[in-house]
Order: sequence, then C-alpha cells, then structure tokens
Amino acid sequence: MMLKTLLLASGTLLGSAATAAASGFQINLGGQQNIGMGGVGVGLSLDQAAMFYNPGALAMVRANGVQVGANFALARGAYASDNGGAQRDLQHLLVTPFNLYAAFGKAGKYKFGVAVYTPYGSQLRYADNWEGRYSLTEINLQSVYVQPTFSYAFSPQFSVGVGVTMLAYGSVNLQKDLPLPTGPAHLTLDGTTKFQVGVNAGLYFKPSDKLSLGISYRSKIDAQVKGGNVSYSGLATGASAPAVNRGFTATNFDATLPLPAMASVGIGIMPTEKLTIGFDASLVFWSAYRTLDFAFSGNNGNGGTATAANTGLVGGSTTSTSKRYYQDALAFRVGGQYKATDQLILRLGSAYDFAAVKDGYVTPETPDADRYIATAGLTYQPNPHLGIDASFQFERFAKRSQSQSDLLNNGTTDRVAGTYRTDIFIPGIGVRYSF
Amino acid sequence: MNRIFKYSAPALGLLGLAVGGCQPNIDAPAAAAGTADFTSYVAVGNSLTSGYSDGGLYNEAQATSYPAILAQQFGKTGKGPASFAQPSFAPAQQDGSGHVKLQIVNGALAPVVPSAANGYLGEKLAATGSALASGQPQLAAYTGAQPDNLGVPGISVLSSVSAFTGGLAPYGLLNPFYERLLTAAEKPSKDYVTYIGQKTPTFFTCWMGNNDVLTYASNGGVASAADPFSNLTDTTRFGIGYRAILGTMSKKGTVAGIAANIPNVTGIPYFTTVTVAAVAAAFKAANAASPGVFIQTSSTTTPVRLATSADLLTLTAQAVVATGAGSTPSNPLPNKYVLDADEAAAVVARTIQLNAIIAKTARQNKVALADMNTFFTTVAQQGVAFNAVANSSAFVSGNLFGLDGVHPTPRGYALLANEFIRNINNYYGASIPTVNINEYRGVVFPQ
Repeated sequence: MMLKTLLLASGTLLGSAATAAASGFQINLGGQQNIGMGGVGVGLSLDQAAMFYNPGALAMVRANGVQVGANFALARGAYASDNGGAQRDLQHLLVTPFNLYAAFGKAGKYKFGVAVYTPYGSQLRYADNWEGRYSLTEINLQSVYVQPTFSYAFSPQFSVGVGVTMLAYGSVNLQKDLPLPTGPAHLTLDGTTKFQVGVNAGLYFKPSDKLSLGISYRSKIDAQVKGGNVSYSGLATGASAPAVNRGFTATNFDATLPLPAMASVGIGIMPTEKLTIGFDASLVFWSAYRTLDFAFSGNNGNGGTATAANTGLVGGSTTSTSKRYYQDALAFRVGGQYKATDQLILRLGSAYDFAAVKDGYVTPETPDADRYIATAGLTYQPNPHLGIDASFQFERFAKRSQSQSDLLNNGTTDRVAGTYRTDIFIPGIGVRYSF
Repeated sequence: MNRIFKYSAPALGLLGLAVGGCQPNIDAPAAAAGTADFTSYVAVGNSLTSGYSDGGLYNEAQATSYPAILAQQFGKTGKGPASFAQPSFAPAQQDGSGHVKLQIVNGALAPVVPSAANGYLGEKLAATGSALASGQPQLAAYTGAQPDNLGVPGISVLSSVSAFTGGLAPYGLLNPFYERLLTAAEKPSKDYVTYIGQKTPTFFTCWMGNNDVLTYASNGGVASAADPFSNLTDTTRFGIGYRAILGTMSKKGTVAGIAANIPNVTGIPYFTTVTVAAVAAAFKAANAASPGVFIQTSSTTTPVRLATSADLLTLTAQAVVATGAGSTPSNPLPNKYVLDADEAAAVVARTIQLNAIIAKTARQNKVALADMNTFFTTVAQQGVAFNAVANSSAFVSGNLFGLDGVHPTPRGYALLANEFIRNINNYYGASIPTVNINEYRGVVFPQ
C-alpha cells in the first residue's frame, strides 16, 4: 500500500471527526472489533487495528491483511443558559472518523504495517444567534495520523512494536461572531497544520493461552498552524466603518494546539476458545493544553495605510489568549466477545471517561464532561478470509454546568455560563480481508 | 469488499440518524415568583427608572428601561403584570426631549447635542414651544392613565416633598418630565409622594436619591442659589423624604418591593472620561512650558490651583478646554467643570450617609435592598463580561453608558435589571430568569 494513496484516501474520506470518544477532543475509534468491546485493545491482538491500540501486539496478529472501517458519529447536544430561557440545541453534523490498516509479515515473528487514523478531532455547530455566539459559532478540528509500524516477536510470549506517528493532515476552522457596535460581524480562522512526527510504541506479553498483557504509549504532537487565514464578514459599512473596522486588519494567524500523549495498559483474558475479555486503562496527558494562543499578522488595509501599529489586529489586539488548563484524564474500558459460531462473533462493552476540562473552564468548543459509554458489535465471517464488523457506540455525557461566577473567578469570561448535555450515537462498519 | 462498504454505509448513517433522534434535555428550574406577587408592578424613581439615556428621554430608550425589562421577566413567573404602562411620547414625537447622537465630526466620531443650530439632528421632539418657570422647554402632555413606570427624570428625594420646595414654584411647574404627567389642576399642588401614593401595586421598585448627590456633583460642586435642589441634600430632610416615599409605596411594610441605593457617582464616565493627565498632556503638546491644568475650586483659601489626579473634570469640560480654559492661572477651568478633590470627598461621604438611611428605611418597611453602590463600583473597576462580550464603564466604547456619560444605554439598563432580579430572587425566594444583556444595544454608531 502506497503512502500517497493512503494520504489521498484520508483527504477525501476521513473528513472530520466528532468529539466521539475519550475526554477533550480525543477520538478512541481505532477498529470496529475493538469499538464493539468498549474500546479495549491494548492487551489484545485481534486484528491489524493493533497498530492503533498497541503496536507491540501487531506481530502476534496471526494473519496478514488489510482492513478499513468508518464510523458515523451523530452528536446531539443541548445548552441551557444560566439566564434561563429556551434550551439551545446544537445543529447536527454527521461526521465520519475513519481508519485504514494494512500489515504483512511472518506470523508470530515480525510484521510491517501502515495505519491511518484520526486520533483527535471535533466538529460542532451551534444554533444561529445562540447566547454564546461571541464565543463560538462553529468549530472543525481534524487530524489524520499516518503511522508506518514495525513489530517484532522475540518469542511466542513477548513482542514489541513501534510506529512513527506522522501528523499528515491537520486543520482547524474556528468561527465566532464579533460584537461590533454597528451589529454582529463574523470571524473565521482557518488553517492547516505543519507536518509533525511522533511515536507510538508498545509491549505485548502473553504468558499463557488464557492471558495477555499490553502497554502502549503514543507521544504528543503539537499541531502547529502557521499563516492560517483570518477572514471577516459583516464588518461596519456605513459612516462608522473607519472607526470600527480599524481594529480588524489581520489576515493571518499562527496557533498551536497540542494533541496530547497517551499511555495505556491493558489485559486480555481468554477463559475459553470462544470467549475473550479485555480491560484497558488509559491516561491522556491533557495537562499539556494550558492556553490557546493566537498571534495575528498581516494587513488588509482596514486601518488605513499599513503601519506597524495597525497591522495584525483582531478586535484591536495582535494576540489572543484563552485559558484552557486541562487536566490529565483517565479512562477505563471493559469489553468482551463471544464466538457464537464460525461465522458470527458477538460483542459488548462499556467505558467510563473522565473529563479533561476542569470546572469553570468549559468552552462551547469542547463542552466536555465525564462520559458513560456502552457498546455492542458483531462480526460476520462468510469465509475465513473475510470479516465484516459492525459496531455501535453510545456515549452519554454527564450534565455539566458552569456558573457566571466560576467564569469570573477564573478569568475565563471568553466563554458562556450555562449547562451542557450531549449524547453521541456512533454506528460503525468495517471490512477485513486477511491472507 | 468495497461494494459491501458502499451499501452498508448509508444504511448505518440512517440508523445513526434514527437512534440519534432523541435530543438530550436539560431540566432547567422553572421560573417562579417565590413569596412575591408581581401582578401589579409599579416603579418609582428618577431618570434611571424612566429609561432616560443619551441626555434625553425618548421612546426607544424608554422601551428598555429597567422597569420595563423587569415587568417582562416578572411575566415569565406566571405571576407577572398583565401590562406595564410607560409614559411614552406620541409616535410623531418619539424623540421626546431630544437626545445626543454619535456623529462623524471632522472625520472622527463625536457626540452631538441636538440644538436649533443643527436642526435638532432631525429628531421628532415633543417640545410645545413654551418654557416652564425653571426655563426648561415644556414637553407635550402625557394623556394616558397614570403609568406604572413613575420614573421622573431629575427628581430627587428632596424635590418629592412639597414642603421642601423652598418658596419656589411647586415642583409640578418646574420639571418638564413631571409636569407632562400631571393634569392642569394637579400641577401646582400635587407633589411626587402624593402622586405615587395613588397607585396600589402588589410589588414595587424604588430607586430614589441619586439626584440628591448627582445634581451637585455633575455641576462641578456648584450649587445654584436659584435652585433649592442643586446642593447635596442634608440627611435630615433626606430621611424625612425617603421615609415618606418608601412608607407610601410599601404601605408601612405590607407591600413587597425592593429599594436600591445610590451608586458612587464619581465612577461614571461623566467624571472619568476627561482626565487631568490627558488635558495636561494636551496643554504640554501645545506649549512645552505648560505646568499643568489650572482649575477653579470651591476652596476660599486657594480658589485657583493646579489640578491633581484627585480632581475630576466633567465630560462637558471638553469643549471649554478646547478654547484654552485651564491653561493659565488667569484663565482657569471654571468651577462648574471641576469636581475638585474636596467636593468629590463630600459627595462620597454624603452618598454613604444617604445609603445608610436607605438601608435602614428598607429594613423598617420590610422590603429588599439592591446594593447598587457596590454593584456599580465593581462594574466601574472590572467591567462586566457577559456571554463572551466585554462591557465596561468606558465612555462610548464600554457599551454600558450613553452619550451623556451619566445614564446607561439599553444594555446598561438590562444589566441593572439583572442585578434587581438577582436581589429579588434572593430576598423573595423567587427564580425570575435574567436577560441576555448582549441582546440590548450599547451606543448607537452612525451607519
């Protein structure tokens, strides 16, 4: 499989990804078999998706193969203002996190593979004219990792793997309204990220037929936007235009968004030939995300003749800083599968994710909360080479409230007080072909 | 393989849509009136209550007076007033007394006061052409029944009681905003305490006393000999007047309501926009030898001296400074454009005394107290960020104060309404929803 082909596929098919799983804007949708089991996978060697969950387990995957999977995440969000009044519903966007794996090698000895997946992302669009329009109206964050991977089994009990994670594509699109004295205007920040490299590595240990253990670590990558595009609409047009618009001269922005590191441990238990149970615990190092900073540059002439003093202004300032102060977040997952017949495998799972966003720091772009997750899935195998996997994941966010006094106390008044609730429904489908 | 994917993807998407049909609900607490009954609401007060803004009373600003916003929010509890009447002007006279507008002057934004010279800015005024005994132009009479918003611009506690008019004509013949509300027979005889006593509300708001310090302060600490209401009101007469007003409205503690106290007026843009430092810098730019700003003070020992940062210049001083006043000891900034440090201290001290009377009287009459002084001080110092919009007490750009530098914009009034609601909710165990102040305008910019 050529890298170029994969990149093309990612560009056209991956699209965006909803805030689908795990806290913050992390997405834990690596493979359809794993999703059906509550998202476990660090201590298992089910299929080529091991490259996502634990590269160390790849060498233990019996067959060579390719597989592709996609999810169709539909978030249902609601917001109620601190001031009372009608509940606001988010506009619903169907987004499709996607993954693709191919691996070849000598069974039980070594494997080469390549993985394409979307570990972080978010897409939200709020109702028109909602209360928080001056904080956010729409966001679309995307990231696509391409990960060439090598895994080696030292013995039938122990294998290691390492992958080079490459931020092949990343984009940010942030939109909000501007509260001008002449009426609301609209600001769009749009940019793509620079190519960055990190690592995804893991160990896998299988002391017996009935037990397996895994550890994996995926490093942080900073998604850096240089020279992103700043655009406005609805700026003042009348007599006040020179006075009002001169604070909006920037044409470009720079920003950095950390895609944090994650460490996981997992256990697999196979009490019988037909039954597999997995437990995972993950820690995402969200504390790397402290502030979201924008530096603006360029001059569109709104401030008259370009000078150093009137260049790079958005709202009269050349920078903007928004406090995030995320906290490291744990997630616990459990799930199992039962091989009912040679053609049919059934799965169930559950997970609990702790929120990365602290009280008083909830933003409309990530109305994060502790999440309860329930999953189910099945595989239909018409023949030993072909597997069709279906999964369904449901996520319920705990109700999250943020008061105006919280915002004032934390100096985070660039967001809105109120209560958020979200449910996400994620059906998924995948196809595996092994040989 | 691809075919399977192609056919199943839309089906799964539809499945997602189907199961995703259930929208999460947030069970917000329902609006409730608590122990209060808002079915008949009356507002007593001065210009702030009437909805006065930009140096005038006009229909558009009046429509967003804080009592109008309160009445609307009271309605959401199910125990609100069926109607809330305000003494608006006829549509053909919608600009009422006329109001200041922001216009482009010499390429820059500047507040422009309506006058005969500028054709009253094209405003539809309600002036009859006659003048009152006070010299102010008479306004067209309000002919409806007694309104529920009883706010009268310019009225003070002192001028609410006929016994305090000090030999001048009755207040109903002096104040055009009060005069227009009265019948011909009432004008010479009916004082404000009697006028508000004609209403029998189930709930009232009372915000009186501001003009008992503001009139003096805004005139740079200069009291007019001809106007008995232009000095700081003494505590004795304020106490008598305030007890009469609150006793009348609460029917000696049997009618629920809320009283608001007097904000420290030295924090309003009228006194904070033109600073001694800025004027001194302008003088220095014109003449490098300029030692600073010379002001006339109320002190008899040093009637003229160099201003310090403790002296407050009025917003109206701008035009006089432009003519060179204040640049030399022989041409000082006249007293009425300067609230000097002594005068400012006197105003603050009197405000504290009067607020003590307000607090005690509110307690005696068993009504809630809105501490607008503390609230305003916080706003003046820190501004107010609301749903990600920053607002401050800065002139024009701060969104909260209108072009007279004293009175709020509709957004400022919405902010005040929210503070009233917060206090009412606390005192009466109610849960009246507040408003999104960003939906109310700040200063109107020329389009």
